[in-house]
Amino acid sequence: MGKTQKVTSTGQVINKKPLKTRIWNNRGFYLMFLPIFIYVLIVSYWPMLGIRYSFYDYTLKKIEFVGFKHFNKMFSDAEFWRAFINTLELSVAKLLITTFTAVIVSVFINEMANLFAKKVLQTVIYLPHFMSWTVTAAIFTLFLSTSSTGFVNETLKNWGWITESIDFMHDTKLWRSVYYLVNIWKETGWGTVIFLATLAGINPELYEAADIDGATRLQKIWYVTVPELANTIIIVLILNLAKVLNLFESVFVMYNNRVFEVSDVISTYIYRKTFLTAVPNYGYTTAVGLFKSLVGCFLVVICNRASKKIRGRGII
Amino acid sequence: MKKKLLSILLSTTMVVSLAACGGADKKSETTASSDTAETSQTTETTETTDAAETAESTEETAEATEETAEAASDYKVEDLYITVDGTLTANVDNGQDAFVEQWEAAIAEKLGYEVKLHINQPEHSGYKDNVAQLLTTGTPGDGQYPDALIMSATMLKQYQTTGILWNMADAYDNAEFQSRITLPLINENLKLSNGEQYGFAPTYGNGCVTYVKQSWLDEAGLKADDIKTFDDYYNMLKAFTKDGKTGVIAAGFSKLDEAPYINYMPEFWQGAYPAIYQKDGQWVDGFQEQATVDALGRLAQGYADGVIDKDTEEASTKTAREKWFSNDQTTSEGVFTYWAGTWLRTLTDNLDKNDVDTDLGDDRLVQLAPIKEIKDTWGGYLNREAPVWVITDDGDGDNSREQAIFDVLLETMLDGDKVQTLWTYGAEDVHWSTKAESFTTNPDDPEKKKDYEYADGEFHLKQSPNDPNAVWKKNLIDPVLVIAPLTNGFVDSDPLVDAGNKFFTENCVDAPAAASSETLTEIEADLATDKTTLVNEVVAGQKTPEDAIAEYQSKWGDTIATILEELNAAE
Repeated sequence: MGKTQKVTSTGQVINKKPLKTRIWNNRGFYLMFLPIFIYVLIVSYWPMLGIRYSFYDYTLKKIEFVGFKHFNKMFSDAEFWRAFINTLELSVAKLLITTFTAVIVSVFINEMANLFAKKVLQTVIYLPHFMSWTVTAAIFTLFLSTSSTGFVNETLKNWGWITESIDFMHDTKLWRSVYYLVNIWKETGWGTVIFLATLAGINPELYEAADIDGATRLQKIWYVTVPELANTIIIVLILNLAKVLNLFESVFVMYNNRVFEVSDVISTYIYRKTFLTAVPNYGYTTAVGLFKSLVGCFLVVICNRASKKIRGRGII
Repeated sequence: MKKKLLSILLSTTMVVSLAACGGADKKSETTASSDTAETSQTTETTETTDAAETAESTEETAEATEETAEAASDYKVEDLYITVDGTLTANVDNGQDAFVEQWEAAIAEKLGYEVKLHINQPEHSGYKDNVAQLLTTGTPGDGQYPDALIMSATMLKQYQTTGILWNMADAYDNAEFQSRITLPLINENLKLSNGEQYGFAPTYGNGCVTYVKQSWLDEAGLKADDIKTFDDYYNMLKAFTKDGKTGVIAAGFSKLDEAPYINYMPEFWQGAYPAIYQKDGQWVDGFQEQATVDALGRLAQGYADGVIDKDTEEASTKTAREKWFSNDQTTSEGVFTYWAGTWLRTLTDNLDKNDVDTDLGDDRLVQLAPIKEIKDTWGGYLNREAPVWVITDDGDGDNSREQAIFDVLLETMLDGDKVQTLWTYGAEDVHWSTKAESFTTNPDDPEKKKDYEYADGEFHLKQSPNDPNAVWKKNLIDPVLVIAPLTNGFVDSDPLVDAGNKFFTENCVDAPAAASSETLTEIEADLATDKTTLVNEVVAGQKTPEDAIAEYQSKWGDTIATILEELNAAE
């Protein structure tokens, strides 16, 4: 292997040394890289060999090659498709709702003149983010309970607005609204961090120019603040879009079998088929997991391309 | 140069540390006579490699171990891993260390060698799921995988066809305790038609009876003796339901993943049995029967009328009973159907602890006789199939390990003496004693204060290790349910428990046997989930009982037909 030449756009010629030489010359760095390389191989890639079990019947009794049997079963299972569609619907809706709520709250906070009130509000809305999903679900379940200890139902009854308790957590028509509300309560504050940082970086001259032009406060928000935030909003949406299939904990702690129709997502489906079955077939759940990963990879590639177009650089 | 040296040093350190992390070898947990030890080691090595290879090597191992079968009696269990549910009341907060220590000492004395006991006690309500994870992801000897464990009758039916449980029929038949068994049918009924036996029940199953708070009856001007039919029962619930108070609470409208399914709300279910069971010699699906449709209608009506507490749908047994005996009776319920015998004492004590109806003492609760509709169908409350101990089979084709586990754990469990006392009452001088002593519970509360005094040599239970205001009751084995009583004369006689047990045995019938088929095992969890969903939807008024059953038939009809064919063909 001889030297190779590369010509830069400015016409400069770079002589590239052979790979072996380059490795030898940088052997110190390669040596430092080696442990990480081994670590990644062991921790990230070696477990991936388990993917092969999606082509096996893997139960307590046997491990037997079955080809695409599990994929056929999966694609013909109405419960799987329900979970898949629910995952996309819940994730995308949640992403849009929480992002836009965070934008609105950020703009609101940015407009607040009283610094003390601003700081207090920021702290208060950040706090729910640090609460575990288990605790959050327990609080809201208690809050919305139909029994005499349910605060919301009892209050509505006392005000005479309702006579019968509303079963928020078990009604397929209401469950998603409750789920989005809980997500807004828990994640909006944290979501404002990145938008507030962007808002702090907006050039004040733009607002001064708007003042000179006689813009009202609302006009300044609409014509200066929002356009300045647009790029960040798109970036946040793109970065989060790649993760939409990773929905588990928040659903798991809030769903119940009466609302499976609107709440069961791929991860909870896999969980039930794996851990709540007396004699599970790991082959099947591995196949579902593999399918989920492939769709996830596809989304990452799409988002990467979108990111390259919008930001000029990818996310991977 | 210094940088290079440093980088080499850092790299080497990281590689070595990584290798060290991954290099921990599995430690053999059991030993045997020299020949068996070799075989055991072979098996263990193969289990850590690809499972497909294991299947091949198992045959070779099996051949090798046949030669060592005669050495079975020499096999010694050094470390015994057991998994138990919450029924082992000597838990980590309640003197488990002492129990383990005394068990190890008693075994060493009895067998002449030492066995180290390791107890894994997962959370009671998640026990079934936890066991499923342990058994599917572990391997014998990995320090987590149980050598023996407790299973409910339903779990036993699911696992006994999988090949991971040991057929203990011979061990059971030849056990020393056979001569002392007073209820032989309990375990004989566990035997399959081919004579195989995968579980051992040291007690009979027990069941639930309906308890009513006496004070609530008094307030409503009712008498328990007058509650004879469902209408009487329902009117009683209605009379109880007012001002935030509710008629009845239970852990779910039914427990469709655990036989006998209907025992927490028997008055509403009456003759229905929402599972596959044997009727007139044929296996049938009770969920599709008219009796279930009628039962669902009754439950929906009860829920709509508010006589069934709204928390019932999601409540665990713990949540339901704690709400029932809570200090705040203004949001409580009058009726609770729960376990008979010892639980009558526990429920009464908890009401006492929470200052509920203190003036009524041990007469706080009334046991309701089965209503006419239950008597006319089942004949009484259902006595469930007993929970069992099972031993895991390591699949090496050799019984020596499994027989040794049986000898160490199950044979000694009913020895009538020291070890049985440990499983029945707990550790000596921690949970019970024969030494002279006196103690007082609730010393600071004049109304609840109670003095206890015992002479030297008198068997008695002590204060609970984690609650000095309560007297210890029992450990794992309920002395009133055991199939082979203690022979050392240690008896804790509590009139209330005796009365509870007598009431149940006089008013119970055996629950139908759980079904066991390969297809059923595969779909049982999904089936239970779907049935629970449908039941909950009907009770909440989202579906009619007829629509729910039709939906069930359309989804599961063909599969159930296959299962019934399998079961009836096997008969």
